[in-house]
Amino acid sequence: MFSFALKNLLSRPLRTALALCGLTVAIAGMVGLFSVAEGIQDTVRTTFGKMPGVTLLQPGAPLPLFSRLPTAWGEEIAKLPGVHVVHSEVWSRAHLVEGKPAISPPRFLFGSDLVQADQLRYSVYREKMVQGRSLNSNDRGTQRCVISQAIADEYGRVLGENLRVDGHDLEIVGIYKCDSLFLDVSIILDIALVRKLGHLGEDTVCNFYVEPDLDTSSEVLTTRLKDLFAGRSPGAWQPTIEQAIDLAGDSPMVKQLAPLARMAAAAAGGNEEVSPVADEIPVEVRGNEDWSQQVHQLSADLDLFLAIMTSIGVTIAFMGIVNTMLMSVSERIIEFGILKANGWSGAEVLRLIGFESAILGFGGGVLGSIVGWIATHAINAQFPTRIHLYASPKLLVVSLLFSCVLGILAGLYPALRAARMAPMEAIRRG
Amino acid sequence: MVDGSDSNTIDVTNVVKSYRSGLGEVRALRGLTCQIPRGKLSFIVGPSGSGKSSLLYLLGGLDQPDSGEIAVFGRRLSSLSKRERDEFRRRQVGFIFQNFNLLGNLSAVDNVLVPFLPQGISAKLRQEAVDLLTQVGLGNRLDHRPNQLSGGEQQRVAIARALLKRPLLVLGDEPTGELDSNSGAEIYRHLRELRDAQGSTVVVVTHDRSHIQPGDFVLTIRDGGLEVGNG
Repeated sequence: MFSFALKNLLSRPLRTALALCGLTVAIAGMVGLFSVAEGIQDTVRTTFGKMPGVTLLQPGAPLPLFSRLPTAWGEEIAKLPGVHVVHSEVWSRAHLVEGKPAISPPRFLFGSDLVQADQLRYSVYREKMVQGRSLNSNDRGTQRCVISQAIADEYGRVLGENLRVDGHDLEIVGIYKCDSLFLDVSIILDIALVRKLGHLGEDTVCNFYVEPDLDTSSEVLTTRLKDLFAGRSPGAWQPTIEQAIDLAGDSPMVKQLAPLARMAAAAAGGNEEVSPVADEIPVEVRGNEDWSQQVHQLSADLDLFLAIMTSIGVTIAFMGIVNTMLMSVSERIIEFGILKANGWSGAEVLRLIGFESAILGFGGGVLGSIVGWIATHAINAQFPTRIHLYASPKLLVVSLLFSCVLGILAGLYPALRAARMAPMEAIRRG
Repeated sequence: MVDGSDSNTIDVTNVVKSYRSGLGEVRALRGLTCQIPRGKLSFIVGPSGSGKSSLLYLLGGLDQPDSGEIAVFGRRLSSLSKRERDEFRRRQVGFIFQNFNLLGNLSAVDNVLVPFLPQGISAKLRQEAVDLLTQVGLGNRLDHRPNQLSGGEQQRVAIARALLKRPLLVLGDEPTGELDSNSGAEIYRHLRELRDAQGSTVVVVTHDRSHIQPGDFVLTIRDGGLEVGNG
C-alpha cells in the first residue's frame, strides 16, 4: 500500500513537487520564526550557563540595567557563610560611540569593582579574552576599557587605541569574544567611571554577582541569601538598626552609641516599623535557570507574535495541500472506481490517500526542516553580531511531526470524498 | 439454494434500476427477470441503452437495484453489508472493462495484483500473477506500463487481473470493444481457456455477436427488459 501510494505521487511529479514546495516553505518559515525565540533562549543558556554563582537584583527588574540596590548590602552578603566573592556591578547604556548613536545593536557600559573581580574564580569575560588583558585592580580610577571583538570590528578599533564613548576617550587594553549577543555588547570599565557616566551615586549598584566557595552549591547559597533578606521590606533600602549595629562591629564606641541609634531610629520611624510581607524580600536572587525563565517571560509576547505569523503560513500550506489532494482525487475518480470494482473498501481507499498525504507531509516536513535549519545558519553567518537564530533538534522534530499531521489532516477531506463514492458513480463520472 | 434461489444460477428477479444523467432520470432496467447458468460463457446482447451494462454492474455488486433481487449462486446481494459486498467483489468477482481501466503508474504485473494490494503481496501471489500473464502471452511484458502495451495486451492484463483471484464470476463490459477483430478473437480465446481452467462463470456484455459459439448462453435485452425468445 505504501509503495503504491509513493508510486501514485511519483507518477504526478509536478503536482507532488508543488505540494511539497508549499509545505516546505511553511515548515521552513515555522522553523525560522521559532528559531528567533529559541535563539534568545539559547543565548541566555550559553551566556549564564557557565556562571557558578547567583545574581542579586532589585525585585522585578528584567535586567541589571534596570536594577538598583544599596552598595552597603554587599558587605552584609560577603559575611554569609559559603560566599567566596561579592562582585558589585553597575550597568549603563552607551549613547554615543565614536560620535554615532549606539542603538542597534545597543552598547552597554559594564562597571566592575576591579578589586572584587580579581578574586573571582570564574569571569565570563576574563575567560574569553582574545587580545590584550582583562582589567584588574591596577586599572581602578583609569579610563581603560575592555571591548568585544564585535565592537572593535564595528568601530575599526584595535588594541591600544582609544574608543570615544559619551564624550570620554577610553583606552582599549583588551578585547574579548564571547560569541553571545548578550555579552558581546559590553564595554567593561572601572565601576567608578560607569557610575560617573551613568550619574549613579557611590551608594548604589545595579546588582551583585555572588560567587560561592567550592564547598557551597548555588542552591544553598540562594537559600542563605533569601534568609538574609527575609523579613526586610522591599521598600527598605537600608539594614535594620540592629543589623547596622551588628555590621559596625563590637568596638566600645559602637556599644556606647547603639542605644542612641535605636532611639533615633524609633523616633524617625525607621525600617523596623515597616511591616514586612512574609513572601516579599527586597532582592531577587537569580541563578542560571532563573535567567532563562525571566527571558522566557520577557519573550512571551514575541512567542505569541511568532505563533500568529506561523499559523498564517501553516494555514496557507494546509489549504495548498487540501487543494492538491482534492485536485488529485478529482483527477483520479475513475481510478478509485477501478480499485473499488476490484474489491477495495472505502476504508482502504481512505488509507491510500491518507498515505499519500502523509508522505507529502513527511517530505515537506523533512525538506522544510532542512531548509529552515540551513536558513538559520546562513542568517547567523550573515549577521553574527545582530541576531542569533537557533533551530534546536526539538524544534526540528516538532516541525517534522507537525508537518506529518498537517499532511494527514489536509488529505482527510479529499480522502473521505473518494472513499464514500460508489464505484459505479466513480467510473461513470470518470 | 438460498431463499428460493438456485446455487447453480445467477437469479435476477424483477429488477428495476434507474439513474440520473444530464437529461434527467434514465430507467435502465424495468422489472427484469432472468437466470444465467453457472460455468458457461454467457453473452448479454442488445442495442445501446438497453440496460446491458447496468445489469452487469448489478450482478457484480458494483451497483444496487432500486427494487428487485439478485442472487449469485444462491447468495442474495441485497442481504450483504457494505463490507461483505466489498469482500464479495474482492474474492468472487472479476471485472473486465471496455477501456481496460488499468492503473497507468503500475507495471503489468502490479496491475494484476491490484485487488490484493491492501492486504500485502506475498511472493506466491506475485508468482501466480506472473504465471497468469505468461498464460495470456505477456510473460515478456511483466514490467511494462499500460502505455507501453497495445490495446490487446492491456486487455489481456485486465483479464489476468480479473482471474488472479480465481473468481466465481467474471464480468466483461464490451471487453473487445476497442480492439481489432484479431485481438478480439484472441481475448475470447484466452477467456474461454481460463474459464475452462478455473471453472469460472463468464458473463460478457457485447454488441458483437461474432464471438458467440454454440453452447454459449445468450441473453438479449431491449428497453430494460428481456427480449422475447431468449435462451
